[in-house]
Amino acid sequence: MKRRMLTSAIVVMFPIMLLLASFPAEAQDKIGWVGPIYKELSESLTKGFKDYYKKTYNKDITITFLSPGGWPVCVDKVRTWGDKPDADIFLGAGAPAHEVLKKEGRIVPYKPKDWDKIPADLHGMKVKDEAGLWTCFAPWIVTNLYNEKVLKALRLPPPKTWKELLNPIYRGNIVQTLPYASGTVHEVVEILLQGFGEKEGWTYNRLLASQLARFSTGSTDTTHIVSRGEVPIGIAQPQMNAMVARRDGYPVRDLLPDKTILVPEAVALLKNAPNEAVGKIFLDWLFSMEGQKCVLEGGYFTGRTDINFSVWEKEGVTMAKHAKDALGVDNFWDLKVGFIQYDLDLATKRWDQVNRYYEYEIYRKWGELKSSLFLIEEVEGEVNAAKAKKVNVTKAESKIKEARKSFEMDGDYASARLAASQARALLAKP
Amino acid sequence: MSRGNFSLTAFLWAVIALLVVYPLSILVLESFRIAESAGWGIHNYLEFFQDTYYLKTFGNTLVLSTLVLLATTLFGIPLSYILARYRQRGKTLFTALILLPIVLPAYAGVFAFIIFFGKFGTLNLLLMDTGIIKAPINFIYGLHGLVFVQSLHLLPFIVLSLSAGFTTIDPSFEEAAEVEGASGFRRFITVTLPLCTPTYLAGAVIVFLWPFTDWLTPMILGQVDFLPSVAYINIAYHFTDVHRKYMGIVAVVVSSFVCIALFLLARRWVERKKYTGLSKGTTSEGRVIEPGAGIKWLSYLYTFFISALVLLIPIVLGLAAFSRRWVFEPFPTYWTLENFRVILLESPLLIRNSFVFSGIALVFGMVFGLPAAYLIVRTRVRGKDALDFVITLMLAFPGIAVGVSYLLGFWKGIPLATHWIIMPLALFARRLPYFLRMAHSSYLQLDVSLEEASEVSGVGKFRTFFYISLPLLIKGVLVGVVMFFIMAFQEISTAIFLYRGGWETLPIGIYLNWHRGMEFGIAAAMAFLMIVITFILLLIISRIGGGVLKAAWGPGGK
Repeated sequence: MKRRMLTSAIVVMFPIMLLLASFPAEAQDKIGWVGPIYKELSESLTKGFKDYYKKTYNKDITITFLSPGGWPVCVDKVRTWGDKPDADIFLGAGAPAHEVLKKEGRIVPYKPKDWDKIPADLHGMKVKDEAGLWTCFAPWIVTNLYNEKVLKALRLPPPKTWKELLNPIYRGNIVQTLPYASGTVHEVVEILLQGFGEKEGWTYNRLLASQLARFSTGSTDTTHIVSRGEVPIGIAQPQMNAMVARRDGYPVRDLLPDKTILVPEAVALLKNAPNEAVGKIFLDWLFSMEGQKCVLEGGYFTGRTDINFSVWEKEGVTMAKHAKDALGVDNFWDLKVGFIQYDLDLATKRWDQVNRYYEYEIYRKWGELKSSLFLIEEVEGEVNAAKAKKVNVTKAESKIKEARKSFEMDGDYASARLAASQARALLAKP
Repeated sequence: MSRGNFSLTAFLWAVIALLVVYPLSILVLESFRIAESAGWGIHNYLEFFQDTYYLKTFGNTLVLSTLVLLATTLFGIPLSYILARYRQRGKTLFTALILLPIVLPAYAGVFAFIIFFGKFGTLNLLLMDTGIIKAPINFIYGLHGLVFVQSLHLLPFIVLSLSAGFTTIDPSFEEAAEVEGASGFRRFITVTLPLCTPTYLAGAVIVFLWPFTDWLTPMILGQVDFLPSVAYINIAYHFTDVHRKYMGIVAVVVSSFVCIALFLLARRWVERKKYTGLSKGTTSEGRVIEPGAGIKWLSYLYTFFISALVLLIPIVLGLAAFSRRWVFEPFPTYWTLENFRVILLESPLLIRNSFVFSGIALVFGMVFGLPAAYLIVRTRVRGKDALDFVITLMLAFPGIAVGVSYLLGFWKGIPLATHWIIMPLALFARRLPYFLRMAHSSYLQLDVSLEEASEVSGVGKFRTFFYISLPLLIKGVLVGVVMFFIMAFQEISTAIFLYRGGWETLPIGIYLNWHRGMEFGIAAAMAFLMIVITFILLLIISRIGGGVLKAAWGPGGK
């Protein structure tokens, strides 16, 4: 019996061993990237860097790219690795993510060769770390996205400003994700807080939430929903999404809102990187003209100040034309946009606090928030109707104003509903 | 306790300790950690139970589970009876069709339904174009849509387990009822259905627990207040707020324990009664009935209706796969093979990985699962209940939790995660309960006296197992094997945490391409490919493999 068991064990183990052995041995030169960049960019960079490596060192290089999700997930992945990272380069994500990595001591300084060609900051937004811990290689602006085909069918004009988005005609036609699911949405919440003032910013966020069709599962989900036309307007989208989508024939356009910021999509060298030397070669290449061309071909804008798209267009870089058309300027840094003066330190410091407030006061109470606002709007309509019939509505009017104030400024939905009901009662027997 | 049983138990426990207990206890330990201090305590749990929001999401999830179980049972009973008992043309095809939803990652099905039933989906646009309605109808966003999508996804589990029951119960019970004068319907309610309880519960537990682990479907359908979604958001999104992560883990642990409690309750109920018969179905087909013409047409209509709903998924994904820029139109207008050209460059590797990982996981599953089921049902080895309990724990832990715990456990301490073997190991551990439950319930239906007779005649335990038990168990085991492979093939939520470059499976490929919103066509093409592969696989097994489908789910086409 024992022999039989042994035999069956061998029968089972043998194919496993074979399979184990059949996986190819790994090449000598390797580099690993981890980060939330889009697949198109990772493919463009992979191809470009492989070619460059072959050309310069006459050797093949194996590149592994890990993108387990949005940047929170990527940062967390690095955190799980501890002091034994499974990649060399953190590729992508804006300043806040890199500031976290920096604070936790998970990245080390390295200034690539053309480091000085990247501006230091823009309207308060750091574009690179002074010590060289992280550097922006592909800047973009926070925009909103809309599907022109659907908006046309619904006979809605594209909303140009933040205020216009609150127009009731857009109700149920807007989608966004949660500020803690997407760094870009978090930036939008922060833009609104810094651009309108804290109190007014929260009021705005509340009103915007009442306009939403739903919360999407992430920023890319938003892109997907808008480009397919399920919901025509998406909040908080990287600027290059519209450029790439239009190139692929989707009827979407970006909306540069009246208040926005730059997001410095950045790169950093991980501490204890297993292939640190190759990592540094990659960083030097990424900021070279050749590397930057691969960035543009990968559907992102370029970070160096000395790049003019018209020059590249002549050199045969296909994306240069799309970039020029999308931006309307020849150099990314010439963009004239309604930038707010951004306080990165404040934003980094209150990151969790903002997320938590949004979650507890808006997301968790989303249903209540909407029903409260709709009740207020109904009663406001009734007050106006009564006014038109020359009924004395002074008391009801002040009561409904109180309701709106409780809703907008205090976020006290229950009190707002109570005041609205009282206003309605006052209308019934003035 | 014999020495053989003892060493077997030791082996099983060693595997379980490594793959389940160790990583999951690390996860549970995490839930007791207090953020921004090195301390430990029950503060997180106190906060959880004092927060009305968490309790509300918990209640919502229970309601959802109940509704989904009700819906799948109501639709599943007639369906599985038709498939198991009636002579019907094209039954193999129908059976394979109805299985389809579980071979797809849950989200692929949701996407297909959104494209078809969505606000500006095919159905609404068609209705609006023809002027029947003015404003779009909300078919899918809301609790009703959620119950619909999850029920369709989980229906196969109920159908599989019920038809396994219908074909394997001893026909003499039913014949006895008929002799005593019970009508067809009465016999069905009072004899047939109760006899299926063990296999039904095996499927029902899986169905009931599913809403506790599926975080994505509710989120895609705009329904947010469900426990797994909240847990997922807490674990995956709050990357600077460590406290929130611990709260997410608390949510996972709490829901797991509730699920386990429910599961134990179900099992106790089954084991209290006796469901065994001396013979399994007397023929390999079980009992087959030739229904009257009216019933036959009704059953056809019914099977066709369910199949049509299921078929929507491959049809819609197929349309998306062969087109691009499908925007705000009932059907695509721009047709192309470009998506397939792109994936042919990527997919050979993905397909190979999927097959290799799931295949190895399946070997692990059989080597482990059969002895485990044997131990749990047939022996009095001490701690067998604990073994069962621990294995079933995996069912209640969401994929993300398993992924996180594997990364925590197998990165620094035991560096398994640096080798690709972690992928099949994780698939094996995560999907093991599916296999075990099936083998387990088949064992319950097999009367021990048959084995005892063999052993009394002087045959060893090992040979008894191979010559007596296994052939009699084969139906349940094959259902388990097919289900296990399918479930491993479509696993993504754990794999997405563990994969490294070069280890991508097809579902990961679908996810990565969908992740970039504009490349939905490519994701759809991959999903379509996956459907085709699995469908062919199912048909091949049923044709060549000695009629596995037949053996597993009753008679085939003819």
